[in-house]
Amino acid sequence: MSTHHHSLNPMSETNQPKPIPDPPDFPVILENPDDAQLQWEYDTTHSTGPAPLLEFQAFWKTAFEGWSSANESLGIPLRIRATRLNTYFYIAILPAVAPEEMPEAMNKAEETLNGQINRLESLWKEEWLPEITGHLAFWDAFDLSGAEMSALMDHLDETLDRFLELFTIHFVIISPVYVAMSQFDDLYRDLFGSEGALDSYRLLQGLDNETVITDRALWTLSRKALKSSEIRQAIATHAASEIPTALGAFPAGQAFWSEFQVFLEERGQRSTFWSISDESWIENPESPLMSLKEYLAQPDRDMDAERETLVSDREKAIAEARDRLKGYPRQAAAEFERLLVAAKVATVLTEDHGFWIDFASSYRLRRVLMEVGRRFADADALKVAEDVFHLTVEEIRGTGRDAETADLREKVVQRSNEIRQWEAVSPPPMLGTDFGVPPEDFFMRAMGKFLGAPPEVSEDPKILKGHPGSRGKVTARARLLKSPADSEKLHPGEVLVAQTTAPPWTPLFATAGAIVTDSGGVLSHCAVVAREYGIPAVVGTVRATELIQDGQILEVDGDAGVVRIIADNEPG
Amino acid sequence: MDILWLGEETCHDVALTGGKAASLSFLSSRYRVPPGFCVTTTAYGKWGGTGKAASCPEDLGKLLETAWARLESDGEGPCRVAVRSSAVDEDGQQASFAGQYETFLNVEGVVALSDAIVRCWASAETERAIHYRETRAERTGNAGLAVLVQRLVPADVSAIAFSANPVTGNRDEIVVNAAWGLGESVVGGMVTPDTFVVRKKDLTLLKQEVAEKDCMTVSIQGGTEEVRVPGFMRKAASLEPDQVTEIAQLARDLENHLNHPVDLECAVADSVLFLLQCRPITTV
Repeated sequence: MSTHHHSLNPMSETNQPKPIPDPPDFPVILENPDDAQLQWEYDTTHSTGPAPLLEFQAFWKTAFEGWSSANESLGIPLRIRATRLNTYFYIAILPAVAPEEMPEAMNKAEETLNGQINRLESLWKEEWLPEITGHLAFWDAFDLSGAEMSALMDHLDETLDRFLELFTIHFVIISPVYVAMSQFDDLYRDLFGSEGALDSYRLLQGLDNETVITDRALWTLSRKALKSSEIRQAIATHAASEIPTALGAFPAGQAFWSEFQVFLEERGQRSTFWSISDESWIENPESPLMSLKEYLAQPDRDMDAERETLVSDREKAIAEARDRLKGYPRQAAAEFERLLVAAKVATVLTEDHGFWIDFASSYRLRRVLMEVGRRFADADALKVAEDVFHLTVEEIRGTGRDAETADLREKVVQRSNEIRQWEAVSPPPMLGTDFGVPPEDFFMRAMGKFLGAPPEVSEDPKILKGHPGSRGKVTARARLLKSPADSEKLHPGEVLVAQTTAPPWTPLFATAGAIVTDSGGVLSHCAVVAREYGIPAVVGTVRATELIQDGQILEVDGDAGVVRIIADNEPG
Repeated sequence: MDILWLGEETCHDVALTGGKAASLSFLSSRYRVPPGFCVTTTAYGKWGGTGKAASCPEDLGKLLETAWARLESDGEGPCRVAVRSSAVDEDGQQASFAGQYETFLNVEGVVALSDAIVRCWASAETERAIHYRETRAERTGNAGLAVLVQRLVPADVSAIAFSANPVTGNRDEIVVNAAWGLGESVVGGMVTPDTFVVRKKDLTLLKQEVAEKDCMTVSIQGGTEEVRVPGFMRKAASLEPDQVTEIAQLARDLENHLNHPVDLECAVADSVLFLLQCRPITTV
């Protein structure tokens, strides 16, 4: 990888780089001293705390290598580096060409991406999805528990190679996806003015995706459960963790449980966040069971009719736009149609790529690693299988050759202690060298809408500014959730406040009245799905989880991207 | 004689249809001019001017209904018209009176059309127009006003072409100014247009200056509006090279035909070029 440290930066020739002093409680020890000249950022959208070594090495580092190789194949002149500092993950984006070559390289990349944007649907259906499912089928055909240790080790190597290939496809997909959505939004504002920050997204709503289909399947199960008072009782009166046993005690319950298992097999290949060290829903269905339990208490609602409303509102908005464009030059109308087609497909792919790659493939990577962990635990090289996530791939390979005599337990204790030690520290948002605000080329603009630019600072401590995520205004009680496992405290209509909401959180959107997050932009997973639920969302506030207290009454204004703290904790 | 159709022999008569309409009528047999008709100076005379009648005479209203139906059948899609005044002392060779009278674009239906015609008539009576004529001392004794009604060209690009360079006076060069959308923003100078300079002899493109075009006129319900040009079109050339050649050739043909350097307004809609106006250049 070629880097241009003289004026690195993603793209600017004018910004004066400023070294960031190491925070006193967060020593920065980089593998390569030159890396201090990069701008390292803590990704709050995807990672939510300290994580074990293997999580970094096998998942994150590989994923970001995939981003670099995707950029290489698309001609996007940016490369990505990832590092783990004090158990937290940081990434740096660096240019692949000299600063003076940047604009031309970006123009070329835009052309390439536009070529992909013009045939996004066929690329997905005919190239990308078959390639993805081919990889998944490879894993599903392998007999994990029956394999000899040496075969398992070979399988691990192949798994890691395929994981890199999948994440290369992942970024090959998301680049045109987010650029298409960003360009459609920009064109819409250009054509029709930008009074409403979310106006263009009305034209992209009501398009089903795997995230909301999963949620709806869970809702449908809840309606089934309600039909039998026995099943309803078993679910309502037991803690989530006891529900499987409770249902197993009677025939109708057993039948319902096996139906639930089918749901899990199909849609439970996911954990709370983007992680391989967290249990998936299949391994631990507590999180979807809590949602199921909560749904039982909710009155009936016609989710199909809700979707129909979104669809007809979308079609109305599209018809209005087309009507206005009749008076415009044909070039403008043609560009609108080109980007509308692409943005519709892209909207669905923002979620579906995650379903197929982020979750389905990381679930399979986890299965391989857990099998390795079990073998090591059986041989007393580890205490428990999960401890495998504290090892490096190299240590796993070494141990695989000699599991009987290896003992990694002491190492694991040290490393898990290290994580515990860092848990209390808030990781600095940026380390290394500050290059200032990157100039806004088409690509960073699109990525900015996904990740969320820093919001305006609010002078008023009762007002929190973020980005508009989903339309509407709601006043309700705040519930701070660290994980869907806390979902019991979220009551219907309340405001879900969280650092970020990964797609596996979205069953809670059927309960929440509004969503507020610290991270993300208008194209974040949270915003995309909140729009499908038709509930207000303010995203990317940076400090919501710090400044909002559980139980406060909030006014969430999704169109303005503003949260107002109306009243402090009231009894209720 | 209240209504004459473009292309009819009688419609070429400046005294009846004004300079603009008469010239377009004359040219319509050889060039692609949007179909339309002219409400003559006779009709204007019957109306009688300021204060007497604010509305359209009944007889004319009936004629307009018939004319609208004919216009509607003469072309595809919903019928919208451009209504422009065509004065007897306007567009003559003596003086260029461009922009002194009203123009209404994207007029829909007979009611709106009658209204636009009456407003054209009324505008001729306004102090502004009278003052202009007086100060120019061009009292020809004939202030007759006709109104030209043509199907609106849903222009993607509007252009003004000069068969002689209006800046340098060079008669060997044709200059084309063009910008996105309907003609108002180009004619009215609201936008800096793209400029193309073409050698008259062989229609070679000599120079092309693509401007950053930030606004354009578009049709909206019942009229027009100035809007922002979307980003991807702003710095893009509004005309393809072959379209520049086509317009330059039109300018050259018209100059040869009329034996005088001309300026013309034209519009490209769905790659088809329409001639909207043509008059002699008075400054070269």
